[in-house]
Amino acid sequence: MRTLFHPLTAKIVDRFRNMSIQMVISLSFTAVAVMGVFCIGLSLLLCFSDLSKTQAQESAQRLLAQVNLNLDSYLHRMMRISDAMYYRVIKNTDLAEGTLASEMNLLYDENRDALVSIAVFNSDGGLEGAVPLSGMKASADPAESRWFQMAIERMENLHFSTPHIQEIFDDPDHRYRWVISLSRYVQLTRGGNTESGVLLVDMSFSGISQVCRNVELPNSGYLYLTDRTGELIYHPRQQMIYTGLLEENNLKAAGYPDGVHEEEFQGTRWQVVVKTVGYTGWKLVGMVPESGLIGDSDSLLPFGASLLLFSAFLMAFLNFRISAYISDPIRRLEQAVKDLEAGCESIEIEETGCYEVRRLGRSIRSMVSTMRHLMDDIIQQESQKRRSELEVLQSQINPHFLYNTLDSVIWMTESGRNMEAIQMVTSLARLFRISLSKGRRVIPLADELEHARHYLNIQKIRYRNLFDVRITAQPGTEGLFTLKLTIQPLLENAITHGMAGSVEDGLICVDARREGEDLVIDVTDNGVGIRPEIVSTLLDENRPALRTNGSGIGVKNVHQRICLTFGRKYGLTILSEPDEGTTVRVRLPALNEAAAEHYRQEDSL
Amino acid sequence: MKNKKNELIQMAILIILGIAMILSSILPRIRIHNTLTELLEVSVIIREEDSSLWFNTRLGMEQAAEELRVELRFLTLPQANDSRAQIRLLRREHAQGADALVVVPADSSQLIAALTEQNLGCPIVSMESQADWSSPFIAPDNAALGRELAMAALEDWRGGSILLVNGCRSSTGLAIRAEAAQQALLQAGVRVQLETAEKEGELRQLMEETDASGVIVFEPALTEQAAALKESLESEQLLYGVGVTTAAAAYLEKGTISAVAAWSDFVAGYLAVESAVQQVKGSQYQVEPLSFFVVRGDEIYDPKYQKLLFPFMS
Repeated sequence: MRTLFHPLTAKIVDRFRNMSIQMVISLSFTAVAVMGVFCIGLSLLLCFSDLSKTQAQESAQRLLAQVNLNLDSYLHRMMRISDAMYYRVIKNTDLAEGTLASEMNLLYDENRDALVSIAVFNSDGGLEGAVPLSGMKASADPAESRWFQMAIERMENLHFSTPHIQEIFDDPDHRYRWVISLSRYVQLTRGGNTESGVLLVDMSFSGISQVCRNVELPNSGYLYLTDRTGELIYHPRQQMIYTGLLEENNLKAAGYPDGVHEEEFQGTRWQVVVKTVGYTGWKLVGMVPESGLIGDSDSLLPFGASLLLFSAFLMAFLNFRISAYISDPIRRLEQAVKDLEAGCESIEIEETGCYEVRRLGRSIRSMVSTMRHLMDDIIQQESQKRRSELEVLQSQINPHFLYNTLDSVIWMTESGRNMEAIQMVTSLARLFRISLSKGRRVIPLADELEHARHYLNIQKIRYRNLFDVRITAQPGTEGLFTLKLTIQPLLENAITHGMAGSVEDGLICVDARREGEDLVIDVTDNGVGIRPEIVSTLLDENRPALRTNGSGIGVKNVHQRICLTFGRKYGLTILSEPDEGTTVRVRLPALNEAAAEHYRQEDSL
Repeated sequence: MKNKKNELIQMAILIILGIAMILSSILPRIRIHNTLTELLEVSVIIREEDSSLWFNTRLGMEQAAEELRVELRFLTLPQANDSRAQIRLLRREHAQGADALVVVPADSSQLIAALTEQNLGCPIVSMESQADWSSPFIAPDNAALGRELAMAALEDWRGGSILLVNGCRSSTGLAIRAEAAQQALLQAGVRVQLETAEKEGELRQLMEETDASGVIVFEPALTEQAAALKESLESEQLLYGVGVTTAAAAYLEKGTISAVAAWSDFVAGYLAVESAVQQVKGSQYQVEPLSFFVVRGDEIYDPKYQKLLFPFMS
């Protein structure tokens, strides 16, 4: 069994695995809901069927009790007629002196609606009196009749026969009427002596029929009446049974005690309700077909199926909508992420659906927003880098600087200071060579210091040795690398702003040293210094750029380049005291050859 | 693409469920409606002008009509055994929408010829004589009935001839009964006189003029007439007939009629309508010949006979 179901289970699981979340939710919920509705429907059906059965039984029993009451009343009326005939007429009549006719006629007239005839016979079957017909048939032999013999045999009882054709009296209209005979033993008085006799009251069969007819039991059921042996007295389709067109289970039913029984007869299950009619021992039998009472009735099953289908339809519709409510926002998020991957920038991340999905959307939107900011930052940083580099390159060809330097060379040459002119031109050439450095951003510290030195040489010549220069590199800085053109702008700044207004001998010191993992370069001048309110704004990114007559590269530019290249923990620090001087401290990472190579590769990318 | 496919699947499921729901709620109503409106019309056309002899048969027909939801029309002819009128009536009833026809043919051969010439297109059930060889035929075995009646006459026969009277020459059913009786009597060495009494007075003339010791008639109407004539003529002839009406039962009880061959007219009527309905519904319906019995005067109160002979009027 397990091997039989395993492939099936695996197939279903596989199928489910490949389904969308919406289909899984829809189908699972719908299937569970339909099963639930089916179970509830089934239990309701069973409850309803039990209830229907019970109600049908109770209803049938009530109807049978009512019919029994009516039948009992009808039979008692017949018995009262018999009693009246016996005690009021027969007992008071001496047949030797008079006849029974007038009293019998009166009694008959009073009850002619229910009677066919009243007759009194002597013990030999001879007629003593009869109404309304008085002529016996030639072939009639009452003494041989069963009703007569029963009356004689059981003198103390009244005897009810089963339906039969009235056969004693000659009817001039040739009417053959079905009657039920009530017979009893009577004592006739003749000449003061008593004789045995039989009183016969023939009841019209229609009287019994009227009591039992038109009784509608539940579910098109019917009732019939049998005597204690099971012979039919009344049946709604009596003629069909008599002619063999129909069969009834009357013989078996007559054996049932009072109450409700179940039986199967000719392929149909029946509830058989039995009630014994008092005195006569007759049995009223109510037949209620079970098939229409419960679930397989013509109307209940389609109704139940319709209800089940309606529930399934409703559940399926709701489940489809709910699953769509859950899955559609997820699907839209998925699509938005795919579009983002494809590079589409104008994607709006929705925050719709249920709480969890909204949160997911919010997270994705936040993530996308962060990504965009980061990308903007990167773009901005790259842009700044490029701009800074451009500015540096521009500085190398600053026309004023070049013009002034070349003008100084001319002036020195004209004045015969050839050696100085040669030195100046040599320094200028060296300055440009180091500036280019094959396009590298990161160059050895030694080159950077040499660049600074050449620059200062040129400036010293131009400023006629207005200031002295001291460049030192402490031990441990050998082999370290630095960002190109870091010191020169600071020197330019020191010369322009520090030395220009100084009257004493100026001094500009460049000192490089290693502090742990950092390379620190101090550019110090003993110039006029900078006011504190200006110091605090010099490195401000939002400060408008100031054009100078120098190389055009400001302190801020150096600071930004260092920060962009190595991060915010590196950069410049400006320490200044008015009339004392200024120190600009450059802090860089202590880059060795390998680290410097890494930055060079980035440049090449 | 997958999303579109899912939507199509969901739509298909909803449509299927919706249609199933609508059908399950509508179909039972349509069926109930059809059941309620399915009232079949069946016309019964006998060959006599008086239907009182068919009282028990009619009871059976009405019982079947009630059970099988049939609207029954019971029609007589303006003149007994008028075959042409019967054919006209059959066509008229069919034209007026009768779903099936039950007919007691006045003239079997004419009826068969008429039906061959113009097929009515609706089921026809015949009684007493066969009207259409392919249609159900509700009757006892006519030949056996004729023979049994002859045998009953032979039991009482003390010599002399027996007069056989056929009330309708054109009725094949009656002719078969008469011929079978004739054969049985002839085989027993009894002289037989076979006559026809179709018109009023012919039976009286036959009974007055005949010197036969017994008379056998083969239909209920003629049985009643013959019994009444026998009493009025104070004839000593033994009389045998067919069918038990209340009058015939009285004659039987008094000894005017010696014996009758009878069957349950109630059953015949019921089966006629039932077979007509089954024909309309297209069901296969096999009808066995009705069982009959020969009953004498002293047997009519026998419980087994009185239930069959006398209608149960409740």
